[in-house]
Amino acid sequence: MDPPSATKFDVAIVGAGPAGASAAYTLARKGFKVVVLERGRTPGSKNLFGGRVYSHPLELIFEGFKNEAPIERWTKREVLSFVTEEGIVSVEYASGSSTSFTAYLSKLSAWMASKAESAGAILVTDVRVDDILMENGKAVGIVSGGDRLYADVVVIAEGVNRLLCERRNITPQLSPEEVALGVKHVIRLGTDKINDRFGLDSNEGLAWFLIGKVTDYLPGGAFLYTNSTTVSLGIVVFLSHAMKKVKRHIYEVLEDLRTSPPFTRLLEGGSLVEYGSHLTPEAGLKMMPKKLYGDGFLIVGDAAGLLINLGYTVRGVDLAAFSGYLAAEAIEEAHSLGSYTSHNLSCYERKLNDSFVMKEMKRHDSVQKLMSKSHIFELYPQVLVGTTKRLFEFEEASPKLLEAAKESLKGKGSKFKMLLDAITLMRGP
Amino acid sequence: MPLDIVVCVKWVPNTQIVNIDPRTGTLIREGVPSIINPHDLNAVEFGLTLKDSYGGRLTAIAMSPPSAKAGLEFLIGMGVDRAILITDRVFAGADTLATSYVLAKAIERLMPTDLIIFGQETIDSSTAHICAQTASWLKLPYIYYVIDARLEDGKKNIVVKRVLERKIEVFELPLPCLMAIAMKSNVPRPVTLSNKIKAKMENLIEVWNNEMLKLNINCVGLKGSPTVVSKSIPTPVVPRKKLKFEGTDPIEAARWLLDRLAEEGVRVI
Repeated sequence: MDPPSATKFDVAIVGAGPAGASAAYTLARKGFKVVVLERGRTPGSKNLFGGRVYSHPLELIFEGFKNEAPIERWTKREVLSFVTEEGIVSVEYASGSSTSFTAYLSKLSAWMASKAESAGAILVTDVRVDDILMENGKAVGIVSGGDRLYADVVVIAEGVNRLLCERRNITPQLSPEEVALGVKHVIRLGTDKINDRFGLDSNEGLAWFLIGKVTDYLPGGAFLYTNSTTVSLGIVVFLSHAMKKVKRHIYEVLEDLRTSPPFTRLLEGGSLVEYGSHLTPEAGLKMMPKKLYGDGFLIVGDAAGLLINLGYTVRGVDLAAFSGYLAAEAIEEAHSLGSYTSHNLSCYERKLNDSFVMKEMKRHDSVQKLMSKSHIFELYPQVLVGTTKRLFEFEEASPKLLEAAKESLKGKGSKFKMLLDAITLMRGP
Repeated sequence: MPLDIVVCVKWVPNTQIVNIDPRTGTLIREGVPSIINPHDLNAVEFGLTLKDSYGGRLTAIAMSPPSAKAGLEFLIGMGVDRAILITDRVFAGADTLATSYVLAKAIERLMPTDLIIFGQETIDSSTAHICAQTASWLKLPYIYYVIDARLEDGKKNIVVKRVLERKIEVFELPLPCLMAIAMKSNVPRPVTLSNKIKAKMENLIEVWNNEMLKLNINCVGLKGSPTVVSKSIPTPVVPRKKLKFEGTDPIEAARWLLDRLAEEGVRVI
């Protein structure tokens, strides 16, 4: 090995995604000497998500967020659709106000990282971190190729595929049941077509979630988000299902969706400008490392398993960013106590538990478990579409609502089970 | 004997993803990320190898818009000791004559130096002029397609091997001299973390403009460039026929493919 780099840092952050960049920005502003190590050529180049971010946590972290950040459209229309071969039933919510926006995560991450750089953090791209440097059970830096870099504390923001954590036995290897596979198209339509076809103003965004046939009735769903001039269309399914249950390649499922009504019409004349896929943590609390801190290190973002999938909306970026922010606060606290021992860094977990991040993770854990059950994604769409079809498509006798519902439920399993699911979805455990 | 080496590089649009405007015949550079000309990385690796053998210093120079700083940081990440970014609006639009003039004048400021190296050519224009033209301005000897060099006779001469298709020739040149390194003749080393941090934290990139170089503005940039692009013929677009063989038998498939090729006038011998 080469002699260690002459420069020593207070904090080394592995990964310049939303979690890493938020930690870097917050720490640099507190006067810490910070280095961020990013595998991609630019920050954000390894990031991919559906398309929507909840804004409030980011506004707390970044000064001037609302004015400066690369926000595409504020989400003011929400549609949830149940899809079967027979048709689609949609629920729509429209509002004049909004707490979330659509964005390109690559641009948003790059913006966050540039804020960290202006605050004084050193950003190094195009480098792979191979290992956490440990001495006497304490993280003291990182290893990259033949280089060692020393830092008082290491923030692991390596993303969902947590190779460093696995290598150091901090977390077990991921199983395909714990992660979902997202595949997404970005299709350029132009502002006018988007506004016309989706009924939006230029500053209004649509978030559309679909379940049922869109994923061959497997847990997960399809999403469509409107950006300024493009639309993000994608699907998310459990990796285990993508591997075993989907009888064809997963991109064909998305391709089918894109070329089926109503999308053929909505996306007509559009050109594909981006195609990507990524894993997301899906197992809720089960995927979280037993401890999110240790001697000399903290784990943040996707690597910490922080993602909430509620079926009708997904949150990840805000949780990741806020965990990075809290990690920075914890590091400051440990610094004032004199050392970065596991004990001194344990305040990170306390801060997370006290914040919306863990409150939300815990509150929705039962919903997340439900999200892995197939019957929701088959039974609900079938019953809803079936009932609606009977209500509106008749020849002479118009059925009563209850009759239609009963008819569509025939042979579709226990009503009691469905009621329980509905209760779980609505109010949690 | 330590060597003082200068390597000249170009910051080019990544032509692997660049398109040509069918109307004007020019490159559409908008939104295309730039990179260090890949063939120049062979020159950088060549310089670093010489530095590894004999010691010394490797300086990279680029005449580019300010965005090339990222590329020079990359080179420092590979092990280049310092970089000079020659940037000024008056240098814009230069052809090879005006470019080589500016490079030669910059190199004069760096003299005494032992060796000035270049990539064989660039991926965005492929002229392979710059090494020869710069040498002419400097009135120094030069050689192209170099694959190997070693010092002979203390530090007065350098023995180089150059490759001409299948033939390798050996020449001895007096120092200082210029050489263009054969493309793909080595594997450029990856960047290291400590060098990248060095690039970020130590001010190793100097910026030179024309206030400093004080060159006659009629000899640089667009004004100093006699080259005219008279016509550009884009490659014709051949519409795809989208034929598909429906079947499973590979022999049948091969036969079918040969028949289709025959229809296009392709003869298989």
